[in-house]
Amino acid sequence: MPPFLGGGDMIKRVYLHEFKANDLPHKFEAGTPAIAEAVGFGAAVDYLSAVGMDAIHAHEQEIIAYALERLEEVPGVKVYGPSAEQKGGVAAFSLDAAHPHDVAQVLDRYGIAVRAGHHCAMPLHDRFNLPATSRASFYLYNTPDEVDQLIEGLYKVKKMFG
Amino acid sequence: MDDLYRELILDHYKHPRNRGTLDPHDFSYEDENPLCGDKIRIDVRLDENQRVKEVAFLGKGCAISQASASMLTETIVGKTLDEIKQIGRDDILDMLGGISLGPTRIKCALLSLKVLKAGAYGLAGEHYREDE
Repeated sequence: MPPFLGGGDMIKRVYLHEFKANDLPHKFEAGTPAIAEAVGFGAAVDYLSAVGMDAIHAHEQEIIAYALERLEEVPGVKVYGPSAEQKGGVAAFSLDAAHPHDVAQVLDRYGIAVRAGHHCAMPLHDRFNLPATSRASFYLYNTPDEVDQLIEGLYKVKKMFG
Repeated sequence: MDDLYRELILDHYKHPRNRGTLDPHDFSYEDENPLCGDKIRIDVRLDENQRVKEVAFLGKGCAISQASASMLTETIVGKTLDEIKQIGRDDILDMLGGISLGPTRIKCALLSLKVLKAGAYGLAGEHYREDE
């Protein structure tokens, strides 16, 4: 397979009319390597290791279970996907009162960020006959209080579009 | 988003004007935003002077896309095809109450204009290019 990009460590020798590519893997690693990104990655690894991956997982599980519980209480909300223990901290849902874009727009006004659209899963949305869904994602830096704020926000959306 | 704009948009969303289809029609065009599922169809009938006599739209989707369609059908009555071709993005944003929209929602707001123009250009035997 010929190299895709040229220059840097992927070179073994350059002549006037041709060049020899370096051996693998260098042949496919042209240019300056992603040094800053590697250092950043190391910092991220250190940070997460300090918190503890098990602790993070436990927190994620707790938050998503709480979020699903509260979401299912809201009249007109339907949550899609498996139960809390079977997934990470995401909840895709629809609200009958408003389109996902409008839900996201109103929630944004209250400082809450959700994703609206197909979440790179168009065929899945076709399967459920949904034009799109809203999706809330929770991670180690989210709190149960923020789940409550999301729910309050959804009631505000219902009120506005109802 | 200012309250005034919200009321205007919500009003048109909940009580859309000119909903329906026209038969016969001089042109009818339909399109959607695949990324969010907004869909609009616009039917237009012209009078003997080639001005918009009647217009109707069908659609489903977010408040901005549907309200935009509703408002657009109201504004084009009496316009010529050339006048329709002149309507631009800023006109639509003004029509929506001068709101400022991010790049995603702009697509919602402009869908009905895209449908209308595609229909208008199509009637004249021309092809409408969105980046004009």
